[in-house]
Amino acid sequence: MSASQPSVVELRNVRLQFEEKVVLDDVSLVVEPLDRLVVMGQSGSGKSTLLRLVLGILAPTEGSVFFKQFEISRLKRRKLQQVRAHIGMVYQYSALLSSRNVRDNIALPLEELTKKTRTEIDKIVDEKLELVGMIATKDQMPSELSGGMRKRVSLARALVMEPELILFDEPSAGLDPVISSVIDELIIELTEKSKVTSVIVTHEMESAFRIATKMAMLYRGEIIEVGPPEQLKQSANPVVSQFLSGSTEGPILEGTEDAVTT
Amino acid sequence: MGSSNQPDADGNRSFETNPVLVVQGVGQMGRHFLAEIGGMFWFIINTFAETMDNVRRGRVPFRAASFFRHTERAGVGSVPLVAMVSFFLGLTMALLTGYQLERFGTERLVPGLVAIAFTRELGPLLTGIMLAARIGASFTAELGTMQVSEEVEAIEAMGISPLRFLVAPRMLALFALMPCLAVISSLAAIIATSLISSAYFNISYAYFNELVLNALLIRDIITGIVKSFLFGLLIAGIACFRGLNVKGGAAGVGIATTSSVVTAITAVIAFDTIFNIIYVIFFP
Repeated sequence: MSASQPSVVELRNVRLQFEEKVVLDDVSLVVEPLDRLVVMGQSGSGKSTLLRLVLGILAPTEGSVFFKQFEISRLKRRKLQQVRAHIGMVYQYSALLSSRNVRDNIALPLEELTKKTRTEIDKIVDEKLELVGMIATKDQMPSELSGGMRKRVSLARALVMEPELILFDEPSAGLDPVISSVIDELIIELTEKSKVTSVIVTHEMESAFRIATKMAMLYRGEIIEVGPPEQLKQSANPVVSQFLSGSTEGPILEGTEDAVTT
Repeated sequence: MGSSNQPDADGNRSFETNPVLVVQGVGQMGRHFLAEIGGMFWFIINTFAETMDNVRRGRVPFRAASFFRHTERAGVGSVPLVAMVSFFLGLTMALLTGYQLERFGTERLVPGLVAIAFTRELGPLLTGIMLAARIGASFTAELGTMQVSEEVEAIEAMGISPLRFLVAPRMLALFALMPCLAVISSLAAIIATSLISSAYFNISYAYFNELVLNALLIRDIITGIVKSFLFGLLIAGIACFRGLNVKGGAAGVGIATTSSVVTAITAVIAFDTIFNIIYVIFFP
């Protein structure tokens, strides 16, 4: 990536603290255009919090978060809402509105944020549903869909505003390995086809290596290693290698309540 | 409380009797209470501001369909409940006051008494209490569940204001429908009184009509209606505020719903009292 191209997301020395608990400490991270950055880390290590910082739902205690040239935490409400329309988010449990059917769920941002007519909206909704292979479920309610199908609808909803950045919170959580691979392939295909940058938060290693063009490891609130997948695979850092191998032997469990006592 | 010392696990700490700490505790409760009121106040103000944002940019703040869905559920759906309860209460009130007044031969005061009581006070108050329970609970539970399942956050993440999209139509629906329901409540009570008056106190319907019209003042009717507008805003505001601030899963939704109904009923009664005091002082 050339140096002149501005980054899509940049975190500068971000610190996030809830009362006494430090969730993120001095985190700096850059996401370049068309990157698929996978952020790995243990459950509760602050991965999802990172995505909420980018969306401006949480504000950092110290440091700054940028989306392109906008400093998210300093934007006024109106501007923040406009910026958010350029970011898509796929939630862990899809977060589809249970009172609306699939079509209305996907049409929601278009209806609320654009001046498009109903025919135009219908056309875009159909197109996005076609992309994720869910056109047949158009009139179904989210409760009638399986986890994998809901995730696809959620992906279609994230794509509907033609975002420049998509955030994925645990895209393969709660899915079986086959469906999980399908979702992974869909993520790769769609981000490449639509030229979207993405940040994916996960702790599923298989899925992470399949998707990533760049990886970052979050451990106890700090980014301990960033780089291309090959670099992390051969990392000398004991935390990274323990995490990748899933072994119980190593520094990760030391001093925690999860430590295996034999 | 000196004798109620309760040793804890260590067996050496006692029930708080230190006056400084007791006062601190009371102060903390007071601060919490004021923070709640402030939170709700700003919640209503922000909802209004974010809704007007859209209006200023020449867009509809929310879709009419969404508004009418709520008026249908909150307003039209509440008509049977409000009418029935007010009808029975009107019957009872007419009967009881009638039997007492009969002893002085003044039972012809009953129609006016019930009519004034309901148009000015009981109609809006009863409707408020019933809607706080019926609709307040439903708003809180619905928004609370959406909050827990991250639906509210998803809406926010899309760049849509949840206050405008979720709260504003509910608030406006209750605000607009409350006076209508209060009028229905008063009418039901007056009809009930007319039945009792003709059955027990020999007051013909024509005479009843005349007595009610003579007793009612436009001022009383307007007071009741103004009050019910505010009750609607208050109930919807409290219910949505509680719903969007749910924390802690299913149990949190339960706690918030209970708290919403209790807060809304208390607030309606408290607000009614304050309104009456101000009204009596400034417009005697």
